[in-house]
Amino acid sequence: MDRLINFLYTLRWQDIVDITLTSYILFRFYVLFRGTNVFRILIGMTILWFFQRIAVFLGLIVTSWVVQGVAAVAALIIIVVFRNEIRSVLQARNLKSILWGFTSKTVIPTIEILVESIFEMALRKTGALLVFPGKEDLEEEIQSGIPWRGTVSKEMVMSIFWPGNPVHDGAAVIGGDQIREVGAILPLSHRDDLPSHYGTRHRAALGLAEITDALVIVVSEERGDVLIAKNSELKEVKQKHRLKQHLQEHMGIATKKQPFMRRETFETAMAAILSIVFITGVWFNFTKGRDTLATLEIPIEYMNRDPGMEILDASVNAVSLDLSGSGALIKSIRSDQVQVELDLSKAVPGNNSFTITRENISLPPGIVLKNVYPTVVNVGLDVTIKKKVPVQIDWVGRLPEHLILVEANIDPEYIEILGGERILSNIVTIYTEKVPLDKLGTEGSITAKLALQPASIKIATGSKDKIAIKYKTEQRSSAIWKDAQEKETTP
Amino acid sequence: MRHPVVIFIILFWALIVLNTQAAFSQENEKTATDTFPKTLTLYQAVMCEDIHTNAPRNQTVVFSVSKEKVVCFTSFDTVPEKTFIYHHWFYRDMPSARIRLLLRPPRWSTYSSIQIRKTDIGPWRVEITDVKGNILGVLRFSITD
Repeated sequence: MDRLINFLYTLRWQDIVDITLTSYILFRFYVLFRGTNVFRILIGMTILWFFQRIAVFLGLIVTSWVVQGVAAVAALIIIVVFRNEIRSVLQARNLKSILWGFTSKTVIPTIEILVESIFEMALRKTGALLVFPGKEDLEEEIQSGIPWRGTVSKEMVMSIFWPGNPVHDGAAVIGGDQIREVGAILPLSHRDDLPSHYGTRHRAALGLAEITDALVIVVSEERGDVLIAKNSELKEVKQKHRLKQHLQEHMGIATKKQPFMRRETFETAMAAILSIVFITGVWFNFTKGRDTLATLEIPIEYMNRDPGMEILDASVNAVSLDLSGSGALIKSIRSDQVQVELDLSKAVPGNNSFTITRENISLPPGIVLKNVYPTVVNVGLDVTIKKKVPVQIDWVGRLPEHLILVEANIDPEYIEILGGERILSNIVTIYTEKVPLDKLGTEGSITAKLALQPASIKIATGSKDKIAIKYKTEQRSSAIWKDAQEKETTP
Repeated sequence: MRHPVVIFIILFWALIVLNTQAAFSQENEKTATDTFPKTLTLYQAVMCEDIHTNAPRNQTVVFSVSKEKVVCFTSFDTVPEKTFIYHHWFYRDMPSARIRLLLRPPRWSTYSSIQIRKTDIGPWRVEITDVKGNILGVLRFSITD
């Protein structure tokens, strides 16, 4: 009991939201795709995934690879093959019905109008063919339909199937409270066990019902019968309430008293519970699995530094964070998810000591900070100033023995540099990069870059980063040169 | 009555003219004094390889370490009184040597030198200062292979 209380105490509100939200998404997937082929395939995929996990657990290397490969290919195939079905689920409904709705209320009076119209046509022996699409897309099955987009009314339905109407021989496709198409041509059934009095309308109704989940209603012109074609079955409906019941069932509408509705409610409730249980299990697996410890070296980021100051040095550049969490979470940590930030807004020139607390560290959800090393970081800051310093050439190499460099005038002789006050106080001269003597002629001009040491100092705006050198060499005075020659020849 | 007034005017003008002449002579005297500065003045400062007959020989800004010696020659045109100067030798801005040299009036030339080794390769400078530390001149040079 104590464990349970302790556990509940560790739950954050984010965890509750996390489980609820994901469970609802899973539940909505069920509601939207139930009864479709996509849903069946998704169940198959889930089984495949479980099978793969079991194979991994048992150490079946090749099996797990094969199953993983099949699952990956299957995921691609589902999207390609069932694109129309997925599209019809996501596009045919409004956003509200995708996120929340189970049924559309406008359909109930429409069904009553339709039932009335159908039985009226049966009474008058007016032949009619009405298609009520299910979850599947009928775009590829129905041909030559003329777009209608009219709200269902008894007069409208009766007029469409009035024998003088040019489209009366085709089928009317009805979705929600709209007549979407009229004069549509349906695929014919090739069954040879149908009664002889069934005409083309009956075969067309059955033909579509055989290959899709649509419900098709036929009104016989000869006998005045009303028949329903669904799932390869064609059956006669004699009572209005039975037809209404069939239509409501097909459209997912029913009253509480009806047993199939109770079954549907039970199924939906079970799906909701299973979604919560499944997601809670996955959540536990991810977040409350075996605790894993990890140590990460995270570089310190300095924030809100006064632009007039610069960081001279810091006791450390990175801190070690001992982190704890479930293995899955620890493994999934990305470097950009963990940050250590120090606020320099109150820092002063000189040495500043900062203690790293939990507030300085950003961690992804579910990860717990166990320890920080070091906890104190010393940061040296300095005020940025400008200083004018002379430039000196750093010659290297050697001139020929008979030559001496008598002149080396530089332009500019002084440059302005920017840097920390403490650093610049020790800088008296800025030297050039090494300038080789070996390539000098008798007289000429060369350029040399400045060697800025330490790297934190910069050349001020307006000062050049290169200097021009005008040089002149002359013959060495003979007395000394001779002395030198003698010295070199002396063993 | 007229005589005293005339005498007064003549005396007044005479006084003005005399005063003006006195002022001119004082100014001339002052200018004459200024042409002989009483401050120590550095006339010449060069780096060279050697001193020959009291003059620098082979003035240069780059010295090969094989020459083993670097000389800083300084010449002062006006030395008002017996005094000292310093040659401060710096290797890469780090003090390396400080040499005190005697100057005698009215003009004086003097030099200091250092022995150089492989470890001295790099940029150097010599600061010439008076006894109070005022910098009279700076010479920059390099010691190379």
